[in-house]
Amino acid sequence: MSDQETTKIEIGDGAAIPSPEDRGLVSAWWIALLGTVSLLIILPLVKPDPYLRILKFVPDGILVTFKVTVFSILLAIVIGLLTGLGRISKNRLINMAASLYVEVVRGIPLLVQLFYIYFALGRIVRVPDIVAAIVAMAFCYGAYMGEVFRAGIKSIDFGQTEASLSLGFNQRQTMAYVILPQAWRTILPPVGNEFIALLKDTSLVSILAVSDILRRGREFAAESFNYFETYTMIALIYLLITLVLSKLISIMEHRLSHYERR
Amino acid sequence: MLKRLLFTLVCLAVLCNSAWAQKTIVFATDATWPPMEFVNDKKEVVGYAIDFITAAAKEAGFTPVFKNTAWDGIFAGLAANKYDAVVSSVTITDDRKKAMDFTEPYFSVRQALIVNKNSDAQSLADLKGKKAGAQIGTTGYFAIKAVEGVEAKSYDEIGLAMEDLNVGRIAAVVCDDPVAANYALVQYKDNLKIAAVMQTGDVENYGVAVKKGSKELIDLLNKGISAVKAKGLDLELKKKWIGQ
Repeated sequence: MSDQETTKIEIGDGAAIPSPEDRGLVSAWWIALLGTVSLLIILPLVKPDPYLRILKFVPDGILVTFKVTVFSILLAIVIGLLTGLGRISKNRLINMAASLYVEVVRGIPLLVQLFYIYFALGRIVRVPDIVAAIVAMAFCYGAYMGEVFRAGIKSIDFGQTEASLSLGFNQRQTMAYVILPQAWRTILPPVGNEFIALLKDTSLVSILAVSDILRRGREFAAESFNYFETYTMIALIYLLITLVLSKLISIMEHRLSHYERR
Repeated sequence: MLKRLLFTLVCLAVLCNSAWAQKTIVFATDATWPPMEFVNDKKEVVGYAIDFITAAAKEAGFTPVFKNTAWDGIFAGLAANKYDAVVSSVTITDDRKKAMDFTEPYFSVRQALIVNKNSDAQSLADLKGKKAGAQIGTTGYFAIKAVEGVEAKSYDEIGLAMEDLNVGRIAAVVCDDPVAANYALVQYKDNLKIAAVMQTGDVENYGVAVKKGSKELIDLLNKGISAVKAKGLDLELKKKWIGQ
């Protein structure tokens, strides 16, 4: 185990994940965090109108953003696992279906998919807007997640499968008890990365009139004409959330790398 | 020789601009608001407001240029000098007057409530606990927010709100009555109806919004607007675009 190279899957659309080795207080992450927090505290104190009013206006939007993010990522992980398994399946039909899904979804911009699923779904079944948004986000991210899963599973040496099969495990048991538990180590960091990317992309659902952080901010700005101040606060709120999440993922990555030699 | 010719041409062009050519005024308009301003199938921005301003321009002597701009942020662009004026069915309100200046009114509307054909709601007060939609930052949206117990949903474009009402995600849409008529009586005539033209608010007046302190521009625009009204051209336009 210990001499096995851990494969890192790099995906570029998440936040910058701080290096786990970077423990110093003077790092980009700490400077960004301190700057964000102090701006979020100082601005409303110095100029309560409009900064404090903005902070009071958006919290339910933050909740909606989290709701959309968490439910979408959970659904996307399930879809991604199925897609990833489908992509390496030897059954040609399943393989074809999974590959087709990935090809189609990755070829259409997320914004277009959101509009499409939102309004197409609306014609067929009557679901609340937030559910339509979650389905659309999960449908898109499931394809990306599928690629992460596929790469993670592929990164496990084929010798493991051979050994497991020769010990009398069948295909399914091999996957469930031998390959996937090991693949998790490779898969989890990029999944965390996708989580942050998805959180940022949920700002797109504001176009579907889902009242997330951005939509709440826009409503505030449209009423008070404080465009600059509002978007400053919105940007800071998003930044604070992603900074905290990226640090958590960095810590998780560190924990998972305990097999690596340092 | 060539240089001299070029120089003369440049001089001429500059002179033309400053002395003889008419002043060009750039108007921002969110062309998603039929029949006041919208994009027709030839991809031109047309509508009552466009015709009205073009007529006013002829009277007052300036060249209008219309720039299709998203509604959300249209006033921020005005403050940032991206265009000279906003003509986009902007109701003159006290709150807006604090942020910008308005010309004389060029059109009057009321807010209309649109619901599904099988709904028996007569006013926003009948929709307690339900969702009602409107375009973000419009007087229709403010009207919904003013009613206790109705959840206000803001849309980027009124068309998206109408589609959501059509499929039943929201219970009602509030917007200006000519726009309401266009959607409820033409585009979605099988599904939607106008439940009420709201009596709660007063008549709303559309004005052209300009940056605060643009006295000269307002005078020029007012000159055109009053000339169009005095000649009765606005009545012709109403007949053309609205029908009554």
